[in-house]
Amino acid sequence: MFEFTKEQEMIRAMVREFADTELAPKALELDRKGEFPYELVKKIGALGIIGVASPREYGGSKAGHLPAVIAVEEIARVYPSLAFILEVTQAPLYMLENYGTPEQKQTWLPPIIRGEKIAAVAATEPTGGSDLATLNTTAVADGDGYVLNGRKVYITNGSVGDIVLVLAKTGERASILALEKGTPGFIVSRRQDLMGFKSGDVCELGFSNCRIPKKNVIGKEGGGQAVAMATFTVSRAAVGAVGLGIARGAFEIALKYAKERMLYGKPIAGLQAIQFMLVDMDTEIDAARWLIYHPAACLDRGMLPRDIGKLSARAKYIGGEVAASVTMKAMQVLGGYGVSPEYHLARLLADAVEIFPATGTPQIMKIIQALEIVK
Amino acid sequence: MPLNILVCIKQVPDPEQFDRITLDPATGSINRAGIPPVTNPVDRHAVEEALRIREASGGTVAVLTMGPPQARKCLEDALAMGADRGVLLCDMAFAGADTLATAAVLAAGIRSAGDFDLVLCGNESVDGATGQVPAQLAEALGWPRVTYARKIEIAKEAATALVEREIEEGFLRVEVRLPAVIAVVKRINRYRLPTIFGILEAGKKEIIEVGCAACECAGLVAEAMGLAGSPTRVAGVFQSHRKRHVEMIGGEPKEAARGLIRKLKEMDAL
Repeated sequence: MFEFTKEQEMIRAMVREFADTELAPKALELDRKGEFPYELVKKIGALGIIGVASPREYGGSKAGHLPAVIAVEEIARVYPSLAFILEVTQAPLYMLENYGTPEQKQTWLPPIIRGEKIAAVAATEPTGGSDLATLNTTAVADGDGYVLNGRKVYITNGSVGDIVLVLAKTGERASILALEKGTPGFIVSRRQDLMGFKSGDVCELGFSNCRIPKKNVIGKEGGGQAVAMATFTVSRAAVGAVGLGIARGAFEIALKYAKERMLYGKPIAGLQAIQFMLVDMDTEIDAARWLIYHPAACLDRGMLPRDIGKLSARAKYIGGEVAASVTMKAMQVLGGYGVSPEYHLARLLADAVEIFPATGTPQIMKIIQALEIVK
Repeated sequence: MPLNILVCIKQVPDPEQFDRITLDPATGSINRAGIPPVTNPVDRHAVEEALRIREASGGTVAVLTMGPPQARKCLEDALAMGADRGVLLCDMAFAGADTLATAAVLAAGIRSAGDFDLVLCGNESVDGATGQVPAQLAEALGWPRVTYARKIEIAKEAATALVEREIEEGFLRVEVRLPAVIAVVKRINRYRLPTIFGILEAGKKEIIEVGCAACECAGLVAEAMGLAGSPTRVAGVFQSHRKRHVEMIGGEPKEAARGLIRKLKEMDAL
């Protein structure tokens, strides 16, 4: 049977304690106000949570991808918005760490890992997100740099980001270019209002003749699509972990309520109608858990993104499913209180729904798996 | 001046899950099966205070616990917070100790582990909750002690510490010469969580095991350890069943207030 290492257990315990003491008292209010939690991002940076999978020479701890998934899960248990921010930040970190030049890494990785600077990846366009080959955003070579034009939508960390890694066509093929905040022509068109992820920052971005120096190309020119595909493959386990954390948070709320809520002189946890729901929730969570840890554990064992395509798509898919299913059941256990904001389940359900489109819809996740199963 | 500090910590059943503790009516023993062990909460504040003193004036921080092999976990947690090394006092001869025998073994363990300028403890454990060990430990070491410490300032030359000691309705400011045993209360500080880097580094730090033989070398006879060295005998254990009685006093506010006053007078509460 699979077992966590002592260090992984200690990381989980630390993040859980941080979530219970620092996040739980603030999460509802921050989500209600729609405030980006800058201070909490700095705190998770100081604890080493952002750089958990990053190299030590840039301030990370290189604990691994599985500890990163564990950290996202524990934070999502009480504050999914911050878990999304942490998960999304893993993508630019992965791009810079694996494809960046030493200078790019030295410039950008340490402040992102400390939580002092925020990073984003901009891939999705108004015409779609999963078909990376048909991009309308262009970066045309001009002297010692590129001129960037186009639009991106649903860009998490879009307006708060100090650095945005933009996928754009450079000639026939796509490249990744690092666009820094304050570059003339870089416009945040609007902050997009979503059903959940309320203290997150999801934006529509516009680029109008933005000049980007050549040294800001991440990886090879024309190699952007492969970099993006590898990055999304790696980050999907963490998206699944957001769902796992939401499901666990909802289950804990339902279980506590069922033990305390009296009906006919006894706690409702003694009623089979409630027990069956609790059993289903517990089973769904445990089943999803191992599917979500699996691709991360594979990466830590040295497998490459191309080896875990099916596993990570499945992890992301099941994360969304378990979050929505368990949260809905938890709401039924709580009856009328289930939809009341102070019991948190309405917030968790809204955040659960946000998992469906992240890094590709459930159907796209199935297509990725099918390609491998029927090949 | 740098100080060598040792912090005594204890592994206890998770107080968040004390409701799962049951008593065996036949033997009177406490069944804590299935309750995960954690570091005694106030002991984490003691570790934090030691780390703060080290950060301010240099020196080292060792952590020490007496317990079964699995008590190593609480040492590892303290090492992850930033302590430099751990000492595990582990021997069947230590089992069944009351506070006096515990203090005797702790003192012998401290002597065998090195020279220390300051020993910090949590004021009391959440399970035994006697609060006797820090004072008994100081006696066994022949050192002065301060309990209920809510603030500690080390003098520049590190010869004394100025300590604020909590008392009812206020505090005492006392000066104590070092080496000393100081037992802290929770309000002394807000303890840090270990960083992930600290967690990974903890595995590389040394934890030494000290058994009965080493304690004997430090001058403690075997008869003073464990059950044999414990004059305390538990006469009986019982579970208290607190019953609450609720009575709603209804009516208009004025009428309800009169009813409440009448009731309180009947109970001799007014």
